[in-house]
Amino acid sequence: MTEQETINRLNAQFPFARAVSPRRMRVFTDFMPPRQFEAVLRFARDELGYGKGEHIVGTDEGEDLGFSYIVSNGETLLVIREKVPKADPRVRSQYALYPSLLMHERELVDLFGADMRELPPGPSYPLPDGWPKGEYPLRKEWNPAYFNKNTMRYEPPEGGGEAKT
Amino acid sequence: MSERDGKFVLPIGPQHPSLKEPCSFKITLDGEVVEKAVVEIGYNHRGLEKACESRTFVQDLYIIERVCGICSHAHTSAFCRCVEEMCGLLVPRRAEYIRGIVGELERLHSHLLWLGVAAHEIGFDTLFMYTWRDRERVLDMLAAIGGNRINYGVNTFGGVRRDLEPELIAEIGRVMDALEEKLKYYFELALVEPALIGRLSGIGILRPEDVRRFSAVGPVARAAGIMDDTRIIEPYGVFREIAVNGVTDDHCDVYGRTIVRVKEMLESVRLIRVMLRELPDGPISVKAPRRVPAGEILIRVEAPRGEDIHYVRSTGGDMPDRVRVRAPTEANWHGMSYMLEGFHLADVPIIIAAIDPCYSCTDRAVRLTDAGGSSLHAWEELRRLGIERYQSLGIDPSGIRLREFPRG
Repeated sequence: MTEQETINRLNAQFPFARAVSPRRMRVFTDFMPPRQFEAVLRFARDELGYGKGEHIVGTDEGEDLGFSYIVSNGETLLVIREKVPKADPRVRSQYALYPSLLMHERELVDLFGADMRELPPGPSYPLPDGWPKGEYPLRKEWNPAYFNKNTMRYEPPEGGGEAKT
Repeated sequence: MSERDGKFVLPIGPQHPSLKEPCSFKITLDGEVVEKAVVEIGYNHRGLEKACESRTFVQDLYIIERVCGICSHAHTSAFCRCVEEMCGLLVPRRAEYIRGIVGELERLHSHLLWLGVAAHEIGFDTLFMYTWRDRERVLDMLAAIGGNRINYGVNTFGGVRRDLEPELIAEIGRVMDALEEKLKYYFELALVEPALIGRLSGIGILRPEDVRRFSAVGPVARAAGIMDDTRIIEPYGVFREIAVNGVTDDHCDVYGRTIVRVKEMLESVRLIRVMLRELPDGPISVKAPRRVPAGEILIRVEAPRGEDIHYVRSTGGDMPDRVRVRAPTEANWHGMSYMLEGFHLADVPIIIAAIDPCYSCTDRAVRLTDAGGSSLHAWEELRRLGIERYQSLGIDPSGIRLREFPRG
């Protein structure tokens, strides 16, 4: 299935997805709430043949967290995205649909603080044992300069300090 | 070793003689047979993606090159393509050819390294020594091109930093002639040597449906008959002009992965010869802007271990907003437990080695320690030591000019 056919089918079924193709063999959807995202992801796998889970890109979107699931039909890369507020980052694991994305979902938990429901039990990834709870290094406000490797504590100055970026 | 419900749970790693880099496996055994395997990775996580967010794109290029020591050129190729496409840069043809030559030399040294490690894991140390001897010739060529055996520093935004002189082109051709002879011998060996076939066949099985389920990539997928070579599916750079003859096999086991890699090396030799013969004249780079236009991009290239995907997002400044790297090994870990289960404990090291795992472990500063204490070396001192080392081996990289980047 070409990128144009993918766009046509996705946008006809889910107009809110607003799928576009920025370049050849790539299709990006807009960010969606989790429930809509799950419907689009299932449709892409079951109806459009995007059965290969490639990886997930987590992004800090200010007040929100963005999770871009990248799946493939062996040729085109399709990016389907969900967005949740940082204050309540509840999402559902898509492990049942894409077993190969398990490690990437664990990464969203460790590095972005996603509250990933239905994630199978297992070791965390990639942060080490003893990493302080509630510290998510890939959020923009998290500054590595304030992390004490000896005590494994995040110690920003009073007032919160500066974000790194 | 612990016993649970009459079954032994054997921890292997994170530090273990059969592992070349740190990783942890908890193997539940029923006698000698692996009943369950739990893989724990992450021991080498260095926070490179976070580091990239607070440095300029140019500085990030050096970080990205150090994601992996073996396939450093593949990573910089993907990252450079991200930036070049976002900036609308047209890379000169000569630069694309040089990128292609270095990329295929990298595939040769990676696969030769793997073949040696695999032979060592099954106790075939003669083959290990043969392949690593041959790999040295490839590393010498890479050192002659870029000044380093690994982390060659060839790629830059808009092209390459090193050109190929006629003498070096001729020398690479001679090395390819010698290497092709050896590779044909290894291929013949793989077809007839009973010990090799006996130890590699029928273990670590991953059939086409398993490859799809676990999204395996590279030689692991191709050994199950699935052609996923990015150079063929989505040709980039020089591969838009020079077609790659894809290699697949249908053994679906460790033996099949060996056959695929040996055949791919022969194909790399052919590709290098064609690229050397048809290397166009012209510039090797175009000027790249410091600021990258706002936007995002997803680029993939074919690293020696498989599909390497880079995501870059820019807000229009000179630093990226987000960089995400999905190295091929990250894709191949998912099927590892499945590949181990049901096979004998003695086969565990070679099954793990068969995906050619890369744990990424290259540092940026070097601390040399001897009986008199330790010392940190500055860049110039390190460069001088490196040049002296290669001169003692008969290679003189001192003539390589370092490209100067304008300040401000």
